[in-house]
Amino acid sequence: MGEIKVGKYIVLDDRLYTETDEWVKIDGDVAVVGITDYAQKKLRDIVGIELPKVNQEVKAGDPVGTIESVKAASDLYSPLSGIVVEVNEGLETSPEIINKDPYGEGWMFKIKIKDKSEAQRLLTPEKYIEKIRGE
Amino acid sequence: MFKTPLSTVEEKIGANFGEFAGWEMPMDYTSYQDEHMAVRQSAAFFDLSHMGRIRIKGKKEELDKIVTRSLLSENFRMIGPSAMLNEKGGFIDDIMIYKVSDTEFLMVTNAINREKDVNWIKHNSSLEVEDLTFDYAMLAIQGRRVWELLGYKTNLQPLQFVLNSNFLGEDVFLLSRSGWTGEDGLEVWAKAEVAERIINKLMEKGIKPAGLIARDSLRQEMGFVLYGEDIDENTTPVEARYWVFDLDKNFIGKEKIDEQLKNGVKRIRVGFKLQKGIRAIPRHGYKIRILETEVGEVTSSTYSPYLGRVIGMGYINSSNAFFGFHANIEIRGKDYRAKISDFPLI
Repeated sequence: MGEIKVGKYIVLDDRLYTETDEWVKIDGDVAVVGITDYAQKKLRDIVGIELPKVNQEVKAGDPVGTIESVKAASDLYSPLSGIVVEVNEGLETSPEIINKDPYGEGWMFKIKIKDKSEAQRLLTPEKYIEKIRGE
Repeated sequence: MFKTPLSTVEEKIGANFGEFAGWEMPMDYTSYQDEHMAVRQSAAFFDLSHMGRIRIKGKKEELDKIVTRSLLSENFRMIGPSAMLNEKGGFIDDIMIYKVSDTEFLMVTNAINREKDVNWIKHNSSLEVEDLTFDYAMLAIQGRRVWELLGYKTNLQPLQFVLNSNFLGEDVFLLSRSGWTGEDGLEVWAKAEVAERIINKLMEKGIKPAGLIARDSLRQEMGFVLYGEDIDENTTPVEARYWVFDLDKNFIGKEKIDEQLKNGVKRIRVGFKLQKGIRAIPRHGYKIRILETEVGEVTSSTYSPYLGRVIGMGYINSSNAFFGFHANIEIRGKDYRAKISDFPLI
């Protein structure tokens, strides 16, 4: 895993990204999802989170939760279609973990992927860096 | 957009900038929660260079008619907060006033109202008004351990000020013992290059920088209002429960205040605390209900790091202002339980 610095933001080269600033790490048929360092810095202090439910069926692009920051409430989108198999319950009482470690302890939920080909529509680290630079 | 004259040094010490009232200002440095707690437990400093600062010259009787607190007393040196009201008793602005002499006053205004205030004074008097906002930077140093960290105790009493003084070995234009966080401390007006040196000296003393987000959460814990969110030209000080006026003098808007004090008002400002554990923040305009009936609206809310819960303020029907009772606040279609509370919330 390599860290790529884009200004004051960090992008990791071992995962894929969405236009709505989620990251996805695919391991076999399970995808781990969180929000990027860029997203958490833009949101500033995260004070609450609503995550999807375990066993919930989600579609790529669907809003599946809410991130409550001191600035605003933002939707959390599912990058892929599938079934939610695990959520990071610790974030409900300690959402500040997302600010501290967005790519690690701050992961949000895991999906059993329905259609692996959907991953081709996600952004590569290079494309995500271009997106950040353009904003 | 205006830029704070301290942005270069602030960028070096890690400021994250954002827009507020037409100014690019430090919103936070690390986390507003850490900065907030620094003020409550230690001390921190804020850049307030966006706040309007004006010099007013002329007859004090003329200014006295425009502002809600008496300027005529011999002992008066500094008053804050005070207000300027329109004929309907609504806030033109809430302000701080410093008396330099019988013919010269300084006024601190909300950033968003600076030009409006200058025009209001000119429109209602023959007073001379000079805008000093861009001549000086302004810093506030606040906190429970502020004197210990600064290494001295000021001779200034609360709400006293001096002009052309010395602070941390630097020549400053104005030094006042005042602030807007509920903690003790100082506010300083100084030339930008002097303020930069003061920032470096404060950092050396372990006084950390704090941004406007922490300032917002601190003022909400105390129940202090923010113009544009909690008060405006359609809100009176009586409705806002904001005692910023003297009753034994005349000023624009006084008739309305008298009438409301005699007859009561339909709505008043109250605080609320959401149940512990709820991590959703109601935003400006969200509805407050008691037994399914809408009784008011939220105007400000935040997560209080000190209390570990969501707090805020809003206006509810005065006949429903049951302090200590519960109400529901709707956040994204779902009702959350809140306790109607008086200020301060901590």
